[in-house]
Amino acid sequence: MQSESARMSSAAEARYRINAPNSLPRAIKVIALDGPSEHVVKRLALARWNGATFFTATAFGSTPRKGESLVGWLNDLAGRTKNLIDEVNAADQVVMVATAGENVPVASLIGEACSLKRVMTTALIVGSAGKSDEALSKTLAQLRPWSLMLVIANAEEYIEDMLVALRA
Amino acid sequence: MLRKEQNDLLTKTGPGTPMGQMFRGHWLPALLAEELPENECPPVRVKLLSERLLAWRDTQGHLALTDEFCAHRGVSLWFGRNEHNGLRCPYHGWKYDHTGQCIEVPSEPEESGFCKKIKLKSYPLVERGGVLWTYMGPPEKQPPLPEWEFAMMPADRRFMSKRTQECNWLQAMEGGIDSSHVSFLHSGELDRDPLFKGSKGNQYNMGDMKPVFEVVESAGGLFIGARRNAENGSYYWRITQWVMPAFTMIPPRADHPVHGHFWVPIDDENCWAWSFDYKVTRALAEKEVAAMRAGQGIHVTYVPGTYRPKANKDNDYLVDRAAQKVGRTYSGVEGIAMQDASLQESMGPVVDRAKENLVSTDNGIIMARHRLLRALKAMGKGETPPGIDLAHQRVRSAAFVLPPDKHFKDDAKEALVVQTGREHVTV
Repeated sequence: MQSESARMSSAAEARYRINAPNSLPRAIKVIALDGPSEHVVKRLALARWNGATFFTATAFGSTPRKGESLVGWLNDLAGRTKNLIDEVNAADQVVMVATAGENVPVASLIGEACSLKRVMTTALIVGSAGKSDEALSKTLAQLRPWSLMLVIANAEEYIEDMLVALRA
Repeated sequence: MLRKEQNDLLTKTGPGTPMGQMFRGHWLPALLAEELPENECPPVRVKLLSERLLAWRDTQGHLALTDEFCAHRGVSLWFGRNEHNGLRCPYHGWKYDHTGQCIEVPSEPEESGFCKKIKLKSYPLVERGGVLWTYMGPPEKQPPLPEWEFAMMPADRRFMSKRTQECNWLQAMEGGIDSSHVSFLHSGELDRDPLFKGSKGNQYNMGDMKPVFEVVESAGGLFIGARRNAENGSYYWRITQWVMPAFTMIPPRADHPVHGHFWVPIDDENCWAWSFDYKVTRALAEKEVAAMRAGQGIHVTYVPGTYRPKANKDNDYLVDRAAQKVGRTYSGVEGIAMQDASLQESMGPVVDRAKENLVSTDNGIIMARHRLLRALKAMGKGETPPGIDLAHQRVRSAAFVLPPDKHFKDDAKEALVVQTGREHVTV
């Protein structure tokens, strides 16, 4: 007689897998940290998403000081100012998008907020092809302390593939 | 998740499929050299990329990989007589040489030259590193022979085994780059398995159960870095290599042999898991080879006379619930290879990736799929897929400790490529 494992792992049995949704939409906040990334994020936002929303933090220019305000520099793509803590509170995951060689001090502010609220952070660095190791390292050094997953992708399209894979 | 059409694109590797075309651009491990041990030995059935083939070795030692079936009436040439520089069909005596060319049709007048009109499909078969490799693509695009480091080692410094796995190749390969499952599924093995235990890296592994991952594209595929806390704020890094489409190399532990895999489609519902171990500067110790033959490390023991694992789906993988309960094994299945294979086979022959719920730590898998899809698109425009260039094959996995401000891709660059005469960087 066939074992249960043999019987149940057959293609015939796969037809009886329950065909019902097994997850709820996730709230994924995608934040562009610099000018070039903002263009990428704006393009991404044109697609249809389940629970992804898109922001830009490019208004934040300098190294954050202690007690730096959490309002006034995070905007949605319509230009409306958003409160970082409110957005992080409502997030299942925050995705930070940066461009290799760009200065992204705002990562620490976003990362700290996510860390406090125990929200998963992913950082994506795009545009590294053709950039020097030093340029990449500079951006990397600002993102690494605040990312639980860090990806250096050659192609911008990876961001869309990743968000689709995560059911964003 | 992957849409159904994307899943189909990546999982189907038969003739005429895009993914099959990618595999056919590479030299693939087809058999162990030990399977054709001498001239005129019995032929061996081989199924690769959904093609039924026959491997054999003629009177003069020519290696052959030809269509399994006689061109006359479709008889399996596995029953053939391997004699006098050819394989003769036992049904009506048609005879083929190692290139698949028919050289005798006894019922036809020799002068008619009829046999010259008959030729079986055949592929080159060459030995390197104890493996018989084949190239199943167009002859005019045949790349140079593979130069994976293990295959370039003397025989006493390497060990290769293979086993069947009863699921699609992608399911198996994705297990090879899924670093986050190790702390769970294989947690019992780090301290027990003779090919793993005793490494300082194991302490870092068990001391930090929440690794942080960094996925970086390489020319041939991916570096998948797992970072754990080490002493004084430094990080313990383990870098897995994936080279497209089906090569994975696991980071080393202490002075143990370094190991890795090829995941080669047999058909769309089965694959070969090839498992290698090697050292660069010393012969493998007798006790290391004995452990590998005993199914430890990443190897398995077999159903006698086959390459099917002894623990398999027909015996419920010899699952031991008592061992699971007391924590001797995490899943109840013994051995790293079958711990992986049992779960991957349980997903079904080809898992429906439209139903999965990936999370951020799955970015290695997401990126691998993205790279494969991107390469397929580029192939459509005539580009050569990654992994064929010999430079892409001269890579290494590594394990090391770095200060927090250093990035492995730059600061451990040398550790990630072959360094002639030097061992892998390891902790």
